[in-house]
Amino acid sequence: MAARKIISRKAPSGRKFTLNPKVARRSFMKIAAAVTALTGLALSGRLTKEAEAKAKKSPYSQSKIVRTICTYCSVGCGIYAEVENDVWVRQEIAQDHPVSRGGHCCKGAGAIDMVNSEKRLKYPLKRQNGRWVKISWEQAMDEICSKLLDIRKKYGPDAVHWNGSAKVSTEMAYLQRKLAAFWGTNNIDHQARI
Amino acid sequence: MTNHFNDIRHSKLLFFIGSNAAEAHPVAMQYILYAKEVNNAPVIVVDPRFTKLAAKATDYVRIRPGTDTAFLMGLINQLIQNDWYDKEFVRTRVAGFEELKKEASHYTPEVVEDITGVPAKEVVRIAKLLADNRPGTVIWCMGITQHHIGSSNTRACCILQLMLGNMGKSGGGTNIFRGHDNVQGATDMCVLSHSLPGYYGLSDKAWKHWCKVWGVDYEWIKSRFYNKKYMNKPGFTLARWYQGVIQEDKITQYTPIKAVVFWGISSQSISQYHKVKKAFEQLDLVVVIDPFFNTTAAMCEKDNVYVLPSTSQYETEGSVTSSCRQAQWRYKVVNPVYDSKTDYEIMEEFVKRFGFADKFYKNIKKIPEDITREIANGCLTIGLCGWLPERIKKHTDNWHTFDIDTLQAKGGPCDGEYYGLPWPCWTEDHPGTPILYDISKPVAKGGLPFRARFGTEYTYPDGRKENLLAAEGVANPGSEIMGGYPEFPGWKTDKNVIKEAIKRGMAPFGNARARCYCWNFPDPVPKHREPLHSPRPDLIKKYPTYPDKPDHYRVYTRYKSEQKPELAKEFPIVLITGRVVEHMGGGDETRSNKYLAELMPEVYAEINPRLANDYGLRDGEMVWIESPEGGRIKIKVKVTERVDDKTIFIPYSFSGMFMGRSMLSNYPQGFEPYAIGEPANIVTNYGYDIKTQIQGTKECLCRIKKA
Repeated sequence: MAARKIISRKAPSGRKFTLNPKVARRSFMKIAAAVTALTGLALSGRLTKEAEAKAKKSPYSQSKIVRTICTYCSVGCGIYAEVENDVWVRQEIAQDHPVSRGGHCCKGAGAIDMVNSEKRLKYPLKRQNGRWVKISWEQAMDEICSKLLDIRKKYGPDAVHWNGSAKVSTEMAYLQRKLAAFWGTNNIDHQARI
Repeated sequence: MTNHFNDIRHSKLLFFIGSNAAEAHPVAMQYILYAKEVNNAPVIVVDPRFTKLAAKATDYVRIRPGTDTAFLMGLINQLIQNDWYDKEFVRTRVAGFEELKKEASHYTPEVVEDITGVPAKEVVRIAKLLADNRPGTVIWCMGITQHHIGSSNTRACCILQLMLGNMGKSGGGTNIFRGHDNVQGATDMCVLSHSLPGYYGLSDKAWKHWCKVWGVDYEWIKSRFYNKKYMNKPGFTLARWYQGVIQEDKITQYTPIKAVVFWGISSQSISQYHKVKKAFEQLDLVVVIDPFFNTTAAMCEKDNVYVLPSTSQYETEGSVTSSCRQAQWRYKVVNPVYDSKTDYEIMEEFVKRFGFADKFYKNIKKIPEDITREIANGCLTIGLCGWLPERIKKHTDNWHTFDIDTLQAKGGPCDGEYYGLPWPCWTEDHPGTPILYDISKPVAKGGLPFRARFGTEYTYPDGRKENLLAAEGVANPGSEIMGGYPEFPGWKTDKNVIKEAIKRGMAPFGNARARCYCWNFPDPVPKHREPLHSPRPDLIKKYPTYPDKPDHYRVYTRYKSEQKPELAKEFPIVLITGRVVEHMGGGDETRSNKYLAELMPEVYAEINPRLANDYGLRDGEMVWIESPEGGRIKIKVKVTERVDDKTIFIPYSFSGMFMGRSMLSNYPQGFEPYAIGEPANIVTNYGYDIKTQIQGTKECLCRIKKA
C-alpha cells in the first residue's frame, strides 16, 4: 500500500504524474527502510525470505495484465501489458492472439516506450520570441481557439486546414471528421491520402 | 484487404508488387512463409529494389519505377491470349471484358519489356506461374499507389485477380497491407476531404444522412459553411494543402489557408517538404498535437506555433481497425502521463470553445462507447451496424478462442463469429465478413457478392450493351434470387432495409459484376502513362500523361505542362523511397525510442556500385541529392546492389535535418529525438494521382553531387 501512495503522486496541476517504475521501486525500498526504522518493526526472517522468493518470481507482485493492441502497423498485434500502480512496468508477447500469435517486430517489442520514453512531450508549449515557453492547458486552448475563431470570422471557415490521424482510435478519427463538418469546411485529410 | 493475413495460409501463390512486407509488416511474414514452405507457393516479388521481402522470394522481378500498369496489363494480356484466364468467372461475374481485352492486347511481352525493363520471356513465365498456381493472392502497398497513375495501378491489380478468378476465394483476393495501425479505421471514418464518414461522399443526401445521425439541423450545418457550394466541394488534401498557403499553383477557394492543425500526424511525409516548411513560415497559426515534440513544431521558425501534448493511445481507449477490416478494442494501459491529455479531452476543449458542444455531443455521453454506437448508427454503407462496443470488447477479451486458420471462434462467447467482426458486419448478430465477395457462404454467415453500384446496364462507346448484374445462377446460398440483382433502395440510410435483405439471403448492395471498364475514371481501362518526370523521354510521346487539372481538390494540378522530356538530361537518376523495419511513418515516435534509434540511427541513400563508381563515391561518404523542385539533402552513401544502376533509394522516416542544416536548436532541451536525419521527402518530386491526388514519391528524378 505504501508503494501505491508513493507512485501515484499528484502533479502540481492535479493530474496524475507517473514515475519511472525503477525510481519508484527504489523510493519504495527507501521508504520501507525508513518505516522499519521509525516503527522499530522488522519483518521476520521467514517472511522476508518468502517475500524475496516472490519478488524474484515477479518484482511486481501487485501488477495486473491488460490486453491491448500495438500502435505501429496495421497488422494489429496483441500485447500483454503489465501494470503496477498505474505504471506500465513490462510487456509480454501475446502467444494466444489469433493474428500476431506471439510475433512482434522490433517496434512492437518497444511499445512500452511509447508511454515511458523520457522524450515524451510533457506540457503545452508556445513559441515566443524564438523560444519555447511552457504554458498551461487553459492558456493554450484559449489562445488557440480565439485565434482560430478570429481567422474563421475574418477569412471564412476554409482558411483553416485540419490534418487528422490514422494513429488515433476509430472513435477519435470520427470526431475529427465531425469537427471539420461542424467547423464548416471539407479541408480535412490524413495519412491515408498518401 | 479483401481477405485477411491468416488467410494467406491458403494461398497457392503470392504476388507482391510495391510491397516490402518483411520490413513494413513483419508479423504478417509468418503467414507468407507458411504458404511458401507448406503450400510450396511461389513467392513473386515485383519491385525496383531487391528488398528484404525479395530476399524471401522464389521469383524476383526488377521493374522500372512507375511502370506497374504496363507490367500488369502485360500479364493480363498473356492470360487472355493464352486462354489461361478463368472463363467461367469472367462470364458470370465480370463486366467490360471485351474492352479490357482490346486495351490489354497492346501490351505484348516485347512492349512490356521496352516500358518496364522486365524481359519479355519473364512476362510470359510469370503469367504462366499465376495461371498454374491458383488461388493466389495479390499484395501491394504504396509502391503501387504513390504514382500519378496510382489509381490505374490499383485497378490493374484487381483486374489481374478477376482474370485469374481469384476474387472471393480463400487464398486469393487483393490484399493491400495498410500502413498505420488505424489507417483503415480512419479511412472508414473518412478523415478525408472528399467524403463524410462511411464513404458517403459530400452530396446533399450524404449531409442530410449524417445530420440525422448527429441529431442536428441540416440548415444549421449548412450555415456553418461559406456557402453551399463549399459543402459539396472536396477540400484540400494532405498532399497539397500547403499550396493553399504558398499558392505556387492557383487555388480554387475564396481564401488562402491561414491556419493548420496537425493532430497525430507527421508533416515530413509530404513530398517537396521544403515547400511545406515555406508554408509554415507564412501561416498565422500552426497547432501541433502529438505525444512527442515532432518535426512540424521544429520546422516552424516563426512565433506562430503551439504544441499540445496528447497522450499515446495506450493512455486512452477505443477501437482500432486492422488492415483486414477487423475491429479490436485497444484497452487503456495506464492513465495519461505528465500533463498530457487524451485526444477525446482535447477535442472537448476545442468544441467547448467553439460553442457547439451541446450539438456535437448530443448522442455522446459516455466516451468512447457512445461514439462507437453513433458510428454504428451512421456507417451503413460498409456495414458497421454490428460494431457495438460490447461486441468488439468481447472479441478482444476472447482473442484466444479464435481459430488461426479461419479466424472463426470455436466455441466460447464468440462462437461462430470471425475475429474482430470484419466489416461489413451487417447486423448486431452478424458474424463479420472475413473474405469479401465470397459467394460460397450465405450473406448472413459472412458471404458477399460484388456490389451493384453502377446501375444495371451500360452501353460502351462502341455501342455494345452489357448487363452489369451477375449472371443467372450466381448468388450466395440461400439467396431469394439466384442470380444478379440490383441494390435494395434505401439500404444506405435505413438499417431495416439491410435486415430485410439479409433475411432474404441477399446482400443489401446487390449482386453485380466487377467492372474492368470504369467509365468514371480518366482511363476506363488502366493504361500506362509515363511518369511526369520520366527517365525515358523517348516514351513520353507514346505514353503521355493527362492534361492539366485546374481544380483538383481546390488547386491547379499540372500534368502535361509538367512532363518535360528534357528534364532527364539534368536529373538523370530515378529516386524511390520506402520503409525500414525500425521506424514508422515520419519517425518522430520511433526515433524517440532509444533502442530503435540505436538499431537504425541514420538515414542513407542506397546507390548501386556502378553508379557510385561513376560518380567517384565510396561507401559511407556524403552526397548531395537534388530534386528538380530545388530540394536538396546531404546524406550518407550506402553502396549496394539492392538498387540498379539507374535508381537511388532513401528510407523516409527521418527528420531533424533540413537541407544540410541541423534543426536540433529548434527543439526544446530534452525533447530532441535520439536520431535525426534528412527527410527523404525534401527531394521527392512534383506529381499527384489524377483521381486521389496521392503524391508520386515512387517515380521521382534527381541528380547527385559528391558532398
